[in-house]
Amino acid sequence: MTLGLRADGRLVPPGGGRPAVRRRRAADPLPYLLVSPLAIFIIGLALIPAVFTIGAAFFRVDELDPPTRFIGLGNFVRLFQDDAITSSIGNTALYVLIGVVLSTVLGILFAVILQKPFLGRSALIAVLILPWALPGVVEGIIWVNIWDGNTGLLNSVLTTLHVIDHYQVFLGQNQLLTVFLTEVVQVWQITPLSTLLILAGLQNIPAEIYESASIDGASPWGAFWRLTLPLARPGITVAMVQAVIATLNVFDQPFVLNGAAATGSSVTMQTYFVTFQNLDFGEGYALSLLITIATLVISFIVLKLVYRPVEF
Amino acid sequence: MNSMTRRTSRRLRIAAGLTTLVATGAALTGCASSGSGSGGDADKTSGVTISVVLAYDPPPKATLEEFKKETGITVKWSNVDWDSLQTKIAAAATAKTYFADATDVDWSRVGQLGKLGWFHPMDDYVDVASMKSDMPQLASFQDGGKTVGIPFDASFMVTTANQKMFQDAGISTMPTTIDDYTADLKQIQNKGVSEHPLNIPFAAAEGLSTAWYQTTAAFGGTILDSKGKPQFTSKDSGGYRAASWMVQSLKDGLIAPANINVSDSQGAQTLMAKGVVASTYSDYSGDVGALYNVASSSTVTGQTVYIPTPGVDGPGPNLTNADGIGIPMTAKYPKAAAKFIQWFTSRQKQIDFAGGSGKDKVILGYALPSRVSAVDALNEKGTLDGGEVLASLLKKSKPVFPDGAPSWYPEFSRAVYTNLHAAAAGTMTVDQAIKKIGDTANQLASGS
Amino acid sequence: MKRRIHWVRWIGVAFLLLWTLIPIYWTINTSLQTDAQVSARPANYLPPTPTLHNYLTLLAGDSETAESVRASIGNIVIECLAATIVTVLLSTLAAYAFARMTFRGRQVLFYAVLATMAFPAYTTLIPLYKIMTWLGLVNTYAGIVLVYVSGFLPLATWILYNYMSSLPKAIEEAAQIDGASRLKVLWHVVVPLARPGIVSTAIITFLFAWGQFLFPLVLSSDISTEPLTVVIAALQGRHTVPFSLMSAAGVLAIAIPAIVALVLNRYIVNGLLAGSVKS
Repeated sequence: MTLGLRADGRLVPPGGGRPAVRRRRAADPLPYLLVSPLAIFIIGLALIPAVFTIGAAFFRVDELDPPTRFIGLGNFVRLFQDDAITSSIGNTALYVLIGVVLSTVLGILFAVILQKPFLGRSALIAVLILPWALPGVVEGIIWVNIWDGNTGLLNSVLTTLHVIDHYQVFLGQNQLLTVFLTEVVQVWQITPLSTLLILAGLQNIPAEIYESASIDGASPWGAFWRLTLPLARPGITVAMVQAVIATLNVFDQPFVLNGAAATGSSVTMQTYFVTFQNLDFGEGYALSLLITIATLVISFIVLKLVYRPVEF
Repeated sequence: MNSMTRRTSRRLRIAAGLTTLVATGAALTGCASSGSGSGGDADKTSGVTISVVLAYDPPPKATLEEFKKETGITVKWSNVDWDSLQTKIAAAATAKTYFADATDVDWSRVGQLGKLGWFHPMDDYVDVASMKSDMPQLASFQDGGKTVGIPFDASFMVTTANQKMFQDAGISTMPTTIDDYTADLKQIQNKGVSEHPLNIPFAAAEGLSTAWYQTTAAFGGTILDSKGKPQFTSKDSGGYRAASWMVQSLKDGLIAPANINVSDSQGAQTLMAKGVVASTYSDYSGDVGALYNVASSSTVTGQTVYIPTPGVDGPGPNLTNADGIGIPMTAKYPKAAAKFIQWFTSRQKQIDFAGGSGKDKVILGYALPSRVSAVDALNEKGTLDGGEVLASLLKKSKPVFPDGAPSWYPEFSRAVYTNLHAAAAGTMTVDQAIKKIGDTANQLASGS
Repeated sequence: MKRRIHWVRWIGVAFLLLWTLIPIYWTINTSLQTDAQVSARPANYLPPTPTLHNYLTLLAGDSETAESVRASIGNIVIECLAATIVTVLLSTLAAYAFARMTFRGRQVLFYAVLATMAFPAYTTLIPLYKIMTWLGLVNTYAGIVLVYVSGFLPLATWILYNYMSSLPKAIEEAAQIDGASRLKVLWHVVVPLARPGIVSTAIITFLFAWGQFLFPLVLSSDISTEPLTVVIAALQGRHTVPFSLMSAAGVLAIAIPAIVALVLNRYIVNGLLAGSVKS
């Protein structure tokens, strides 16, 4: 019932999979043709602009303080002296932790539910994507309305059920609660993506594996832990990395729910303020560089811990 | 054959890569067309199409058709919400690209926009001097002797009150001093007419700053001097006392604790429109007619009035937060845009847009013209809710910053609203908040 | 065994439905009310006097609002479809090369592509704006689609790479031994086998594009290219937020992908949920 680990590091189902075939190195123009459109897009429209802005992080690029000049680590020093920014870093770390854990757990749960066919499954997929399809600005005002301390839905329901006797303030007073409730809103939005990514990965798993496992006497719970989860590692990795990116860059939810308050402000919010309000683009680029590094580091850790190549 | 193919394909790859690099590098180093148009185009006014981008609904199609017939200029109107519009203006200006011929100039951004030179001085295109007497708020739109934009509405901060709720609590004359106002609200609270009768938005957003400015003026103080130095740091200054009063009202329950998440222009007006609160201390001129008396959005129609803002020894002044329109430096047809602005801010058009000539000429949400003469005309026709009060207050309205908004205004305002919010939420004292705001102002004023 | 997990599955389904649909229900509920009825204490769990007024405002007639909304629906559908098609096409080709071929620079390019996902949106906003201006593509479908494609290609390529590299090589090798060229193998063998990966990539790319706001805000100058998301944001008034109107707009925005998902039901089921690969 257990998966085999092949010499080249790949996970294979019981039975051994197929032996690797050594490929003859051919000097072939075809792969270059296949990847060149991708390469042009990525190099031209993503890498070069990104490299430009990374470089600009070491310059003073301030519309109100021209000209553009080299200042080394000046932007970084200034931003670490700013209370608003340092507290936003702490908040964002919490957003990432809560958001990645919750969205991944829920994503796995929903993907497993949708893995096998049953009546109504395809309608359920249409339902699943709704939170993601809802435009951010509408999502914002709806959830403001849900958490609101004066006229909100949650307060209303709790009052109707006589759980509380007067309306509570949920956001803005307790930092942990504020961060948590704000992140719940983002998790609600990104769970469909996690689910789809993991579900796609699960579709690869041949039914025979589960059949032979149950013949061997495995319980469904056992099959989930020992077969489904390990074989879903690539999908889970992609889902987690996407969640890291989304949560590290969270902006809409804290901004709409809690304004610029320090109790929930995120690094991307500070980047927006510094760039578009202070017009200090250099400092904005420096913050973006920090986010980029954090993303790469955390994603690398996730990759190392979670990813295993799989072949059937 | 193999090695030749490999070499050729590698050369092709390198060539493709270099071309892309050079192309994008060239683009980035600013070979970009600045889009400000050749000299000839800039003077064209007939037969062109200009792009107007504002955070407002457009005039009716028929009205724009009339303008086209008169001048030959076709107007393409884009409605973008205020926050997004500021982002667009900043992005286009930094990238030095064209995105509109006429767009929003907010009173608070005049200092910043003026210093950056992102907008054509309106003095080059229209007779600003002749407009001045009819537009009291024009002064707020001037920076360094140049007019950055023309105010097209007369938005100013004003106190609104639900008169019916005051009467239900046994108050027949509206208060004129802060002490009377506070006492009256407490009475409304004690009589059970409203649980938390005072409405001030304490979310960490721009509306909290403007509320504080208005309250400071009511307490007889100012925010910054001509050099940008803070005028509110000592305990007996207007700004300090204003902040204390605001935060204390929240702590005393006069303002709902949940207001730490209520934003101006989102939640705050809703509370007033649902009769949850009895008075909004710093509301917008025009809200009574545009919002509270509209049956589809309010449950308190006919109950609200404007009152002169209660101040320390009597009514306090009303501060300007008007919307202006200006011509970005990257505009393709500045002269045509200027013609449009002149037409748009003319007396008759303002009357039309505000409903003085029938419903089919109205701009949705356009409450108050910037020209006193237009407001007077509306009052004669009786189409402006609370118009008498508004007209008298408009004539006396003052700019928030007598010497103009500083170029670092957005950063300063952010310090104001985040710290006042923190004081209200209890994470710092008013004293600490004021000190932080003052420190920020000093730091910015000394140019660091 | 099927019976034992039956009820567990149905609890899971119920949770999925509640978790997803409570806020959606609230959006629909709000959209059928007037602003005067919204934000009531206690809240109106059902619309007191249900009205389609908001939907009519958004869709019917020749008011500025309705014209903008209708135009922006057309825009967003075109932009998202085009971006999806181009992205899926290019990423399929590239993923196949990464998964099944060796060539110089393969590792470096692959990791470089993935690494670009780490850059926040603000990093590339102004440079891309400048590039699009230089190319004369501001306020065009092409410009917006190009920017979208460049943003979504990395994830699409990664998904398809994972998928293709996990397929058993035997079938492809058999086809090649039979003399088929690599491209034929790709088209006739790999693509059908990778259908779940391709369909999920298409869905994910489409939805990512559907939710875009900041880039089209900056790259569009007027309603000829503005997508629905930008127009909905513009519904916010100067001094008020028309809750019920914006909720109705939100319902429109989710209805379209939902309807598409239901209409293309069979393709999605056959594609995404193809299930087992017979070995």
